[in-house]
Amino acid sequence: MRKSFSILLLLGLVCASCRLQRDDPGRGITLEVAVFEGGYGIEWHKQMARQYERLHPGIHIDLWGDPRVDEKLKPRILRRNPPDLASCGLPVWKLIVAGKLYPLDAALDYPAYGQPNITWRQSLVKGVLSDYQYQGHTYAVPTNLGCWVCWYDRRMFRKHGWQVPRTWGEFTHLCDQIKAAGIAPLAFQGKYPYYAWATLLSLYERLVPFERWYRMEDFLPGAYTDPEFIHAARLVQEMATRYFEPGALAMTHTESQLEWVHGSAAMVFCGLWLENEMKNAIPPGFEMACFPVPVVEGGHGDPHAIYGGGGEMFFAFSDAPHPKEAVDFLKYLLSMDPARAYTRQLDTLSPVRNSERGISLSPDLQSAVDVMHASSRLFSDRIDTLFPEFTRGAEQVGLADLLAGKITPEQFGKELEAGMEDIRRDPDIYKPPPQGVPQ
Amino acid sequence: MIKRNDFQRPTPNAQRPKRREQKLFILTFLGPALALYALFVLLPAVNACRYSLLRWDGLGTATWAGLHNFGRLLRSGSDYLPAIQHNLFLTFVPGVFILTLALFFAYSIHQGVRGARLFRITFFFPNIISSVATALLWIFLYSTSGVGLLNNLLKRLFHVSQPIAFTETHNLLWAMVPMIVWAATGFYMVLFLAAMENIPETYYEAARLDGASSSHLFRYVTLPLIWDVLATGVVFLVIGGLKMFDGVWIMENGRPSPETHTLSTLMYSRVFEEYNVGHGTAIAVLQFVLVLLASLISMRLMRRERLEY
Repeated sequence: MRKSFSILLLLGLVCASCRLQRDDPGRGITLEVAVFEGGYGIEWHKQMARQYERLHPGIHIDLWGDPRVDEKLKPRILRRNPPDLASCGLPVWKLIVAGKLYPLDAALDYPAYGQPNITWRQSLVKGVLSDYQYQGHTYAVPTNLGCWVCWYDRRMFRKHGWQVPRTWGEFTHLCDQIKAAGIAPLAFQGKYPYYAWATLLSLYERLVPFERWYRMEDFLPGAYTDPEFIHAARLVQEMATRYFEPGALAMTHTESQLEWVHGSAAMVFCGLWLENEMKNAIPPGFEMACFPVPVVEGGHGDPHAIYGGGGEMFFAFSDAPHPKEAVDFLKYLLSMDPARAYTRQLDTLSPVRNSERGISLSPDLQSAVDVMHASSRLFSDRIDTLFPEFTRGAEQVGLADLLAGKITPEQFGKELEAGMEDIRRDPDIYKPPPQGVPQ
Repeated sequence: MIKRNDFQRPTPNAQRPKRREQKLFILTFLGPALALYALFVLLPAVNACRYSLLRWDGLGTATWAGLHNFGRLLRSGSDYLPAIQHNLFLTFVPGVFILTLALFFAYSIHQGVRGARLFRITFFFPNIISSVATALLWIFLYSTSGVGLLNNLLKRLFHVSQPIAFTETHNLLWAMVPMIVWAATGFYMVLFLAAMENIPETYYEAARLDGASSSHLFRYVTLPLIWDVLATGVVFLVIGGLKMFDGVWIMENGRPSPETHTLSTLMYSRVFEEYNVGHGTAIAVLQFVLVLLASLISMRLMRRERLEY
């Protein structure tokens, strides 16, 4: 018994020491990269890791992926043994405020890989770095670029002679036409009311200048009782009660999107991940295309701005053995050649500026690219990442009631205001200082 | 030849080695289980109580919060009290139907209704399906898209043109009642049936001779003699209702709202999604107290004079 125990103990120590010795002196530095393995997989990441190793012979990259990467990383962060680089769903803001993340500015202000005349920061689409800035430093970078649009089937529109709307009036007129044809105008992912949040924020942006829009982002009192915010909420409520497919409020995202793909509904508001998510269900001949959230007549906002920004955030840990080298690998991932490979392989967009030029894109992605190229700027909302308590509480409940017609837009605004007041008063929740309109 | 001492009690000294042996015997068999129980149940429970007194996001440094987390739960506007209401709803509303149906089915089978064996299997079958599979099954049943059986039936049989959103947030708790009743009735039926089958037939014969009808037999013979088992069933129902997690979580697709949260889903959401470990474990501690109190109250209310036969 004693002998078996000793052998087991010895084996355990050997295994632990193998793990502790991440760096093999013979192989140089080993960087550990943990990636959320979702719809986009990790094949592109692995290929880029191998390419990076060829460029840097002294560096080996141990890249692994898991759909539940968050659960695997949490205890390691507590033990101060995180990987060097990660992309996962952990609360980035909490990690930033706890001092767990490594600032990226030194690398961002250096020349980009393959583009020595501009910095890495300048090589990225404007606005994608604004979500995770703290005390003047940037802590996370996206590897994916997206925007919020309205998807439709070109073939259905052609068949019925329907035109893509530019204004909200044209949009509601189109919905009436679709309804008269016996088709539901809009599918909606009703089990997740926050799918209407991006549409609501887009409509609000169409109505007000950015200085007023960003009062929400700075959690200023009265942001949600702004008359134009209430007007945007009213438009969303009318859209829901008049044009959503019957039963939509009880549908999951896949159910509602299936309804759209099978022609029971004509349009659906969604991000650029829609095609990837539904690729096994899209029937032959289906021609996906999109248009931006229509302009609201009489609005004072930027009619060409588009709700969107970066996703699949990567960040480096300050407790990791090689944060500087990890950031360099991240910089490589977000350089022109890898970004072009990303777009080619995954049929989605990278935040590296102009990386999609010259690549043969699928018609639906080309449609989204056309929308983004025609836009003046991207804007996004950081409330979700900062205050999950607000998102899951006042926002979700309020939206569900608004869409179901159970509360008025004014009541909705008041509920959101009350929810945000709770956040402002809660000493346990970190509130970053006001940032105004990001440049 | 019999000696006087053969019939005398062993001396205290002689008893000690025997008691020591007994204790060692008991410890040998109970020890490992107790150790595992302490390691995987007691120790985490004590830790949870400790975390409930801290301000901690599970990632950074924890600071002392005292009773702050508990105070937050009990103040007005908190999600905690509505979550308790939802738990109580999911305990009592399905509970009434479960007990009634289980007693009815068990008694019918006990009385020898035709096809009793088939009914026994049929009614118990839902109980062997996992709760996750049950919830997924009912999601499809309630679906408002083309695959929804219930909405399709309503459309074809009763010409209901607009599908009913059974699983929409505002309707979800009521929609869960048939699901819970369907899943749980079989278990309680088998429990009560086993108790009924232990009742000697002579009691029924004697009652029939006195002119008792079927309902009299049930009320004055069966029910009192299975009361202990019924009380146990009630306690199980109360504990199950107060711990409800998977049904709500699955039917809300992992995002319950304050209108559908139960204590367990609220706790999970606070700890693992909002990263508020202190607040979440405070919910767990209060839930433990609530379940304990509810069980004790149920047992007290159901207590009556024990009948032996």
